[in-house]
Amino acid sequence: MNSRHGLLGHATTLIGASITLVAMVAVVIGPMLMPYGPNDSDFFDLLSPPSWAHPFGTDSFGRDVLTRVLYGARVSLVVSAAGVALATIIGTAVGMVAAYKGGYADLLLMRFADLLFAFPAFVLALFLMVVLGFGTINVALAIGLIYFPIFARLARNMTLLVREEPYVQAARLMGQSTPRILLREILPNIAAPLIVQATIGIAFGIIIEAGLSFLGVGVQPPTPSLGVIMADGREYFQRGPWVLTLTGLAISFVLLGLNLFGDGLRDLMDPRLRERTGQ
Amino acid sequence: MLETAGNSGSERIGAFRSISGFLPKTAVFIAKRLFGALATIAVGALIVFFVMKAAPGDPALAVLGDNATPEAVEEFRRRHHLDEPLVGQFVLWVSGMLRGDFGLSLTIGGGIPISQLIATRLPITAFVGIYSVLIAVLVSLSMGTIAALRRGRAADTIATSVAVLGISMPDFWLSYVLIFAFAIGWKVFPAYGFISPVDSLAGALYSGFLPALAIAAPMAAVFARMLRASLVEAASREYVLAATSFGFGKPFVFRHFVFRNALIPYVTVIGLQIRYLLGGVVVIERIFGIQGLGSLAVDAAFARDYPTVLACTVVFLAIVLLVNVIVDLICAALDPRRSL
Repeated sequence: MNSRHGLLGHATTLIGASITLVAMVAVVIGPMLMPYGPNDSDFFDLLSPPSWAHPFGTDSFGRDVLTRVLYGARVSLVVSAAGVALATIIGTAVGMVAAYKGGYADLLLMRFADLLFAFPAFVLALFLMVVLGFGTINVALAIGLIYFPIFARLARNMTLLVREEPYVQAARLMGQSTPRILLREILPNIAAPLIVQATIGIAFGIIIEAGLSFLGVGVQPPTPSLGVIMADGREYFQRGPWVLTLTGLAISFVLLGLNLFGDGLRDLMDPRLRERTGQ
Repeated sequence: MLETAGNSGSERIGAFRSISGFLPKTAVFIAKRLFGALATIAVGALIVFFVMKAAPGDPALAVLGDNATPEAVEEFRRRHHLDEPLVGQFVLWVSGMLRGDFGLSLTIGGGIPISQLIATRLPITAFVGIYSVLIAVLVSLSMGTIAALRRGRAADTIATSVAVLGISMPDFWLSYVLIFAFAIGWKVFPAYGFISPVDSLAGALYSGFLPALAIAAPMAAVFARMLRASLVEAASREYVLAATSFGFGKPFVFRHFVFRNALIPYVTVIGLQIRYLLGGVVVIERIFGIQGLGSLAVDAAFARDYPTVLACTVVFLAIVLLVNVIVDLICAALDPRRSL
């Protein structure tokens, strides 16, 4: 029983990792293999359904949708990764300082993170886009600001766990400075769960980017992002449903990979959960 | 925030009780939670207000255009209290909100009271939201229970896989898949438009089904996963073994020992997911042409109607916090160890 469940958990992690890897490879080298550019229009081949020449069909400008999806996924992934990286840095810093310093700093920083956490994520994203202005970089900023409370909480809880470990006490007794202890002693020991959270966070970022750009307040055309392509496809959904549906399918594929991978990693690292599934 | 307030507050309730001995415990509990929510809304409003004011661009010029006469700009500023100092503006705004007055919109509806906009749109969003939660609860209760009872068998694998797929489908994409299948292919539901529940409840249930389903599907996946996990955990507890050894039948043990205890984390997750539900509502209202709070927020974002965006953000925050209070109450009612 034990090994079977362990293996099953392992299998889903592997499937997730493979899907993620396939998606990464497709995004990195896919555009180079495609014979079309993302904005090449062929006016004799408008809105043609999926075929061998155009596996995802063409859009109303006669552009190859698969090529656009590959380029768009690049934009979406970079935006999401940048946002999550920002969230990781701010959140980890806030959480570690809050836990290490304790007292009012802890209370204030965590209350602020909790407050941000109470806003509906997408509403906050919309609000931030109005404040910052529509555009690619601001989408990444918005993702970072919305997602950092999660890292703050996680980093705080993890820091509280390792704060009194002997190696941290030793470093303190040796008279090392607080920033040095935080960076050299504590950070490496809490990094693993943060990385797992970042994997799941990238899936979240992709959804936020796609949603904002789909509404028209995120990445602006002609830059192709997954959300922008879907917004295009919405205009002629009745005549060419493949543009929107296949782009969405590509998003789901990436999200599925990231979710399975992230969940699997989390299960592997969480001893409580491992115990539960290993019963 | 509410959770931490609740944990530390449970001891303080005792002190509270001695002062208000004649009040029922439940009333004190609700009052405390509502007060906490109100304080959070106040701080949230403060932050979004000043962040919004820090945004570049002059709303007067954004609305009237760059060629507006100085007199028109002056008049506009006076009408929207933009000539007051910032702190004064904030005080005016908050005191107005407390009286149910959110100020005037800049562009939406040509400058009408925002409270009027919210009053007409909030019931619609509330209806769609409750409708989708009900669908998600119905689906996840059956899916999660089947998966837990048939743990490790085909039904479990299928239910668990469907749940992972559900999480990986953006709801706005799912909306179009549903439109394609049930409105264009098989014409059973309308692709666009919504009949307000105020006009016809049956019409609202019918025209709101696809949007509610699109919002519900990813949530149902999350709920089902949670329910399955907590059912499995509850089933492994000693009291379940004890109950079984007393000779109680399996269905009885499941209903009274396993299911009831698994409900608390399940209800908590529903409360946590309200944030995502309301986010989904924003996009999906837009897709299906539902004139709710979400589409108001998007329209206002496009029109750079700052006060309306601000009002919508605060109202959404208030909804989340209010739902959290209700979820806390349900959890307290479910948990016999936690006296109200």
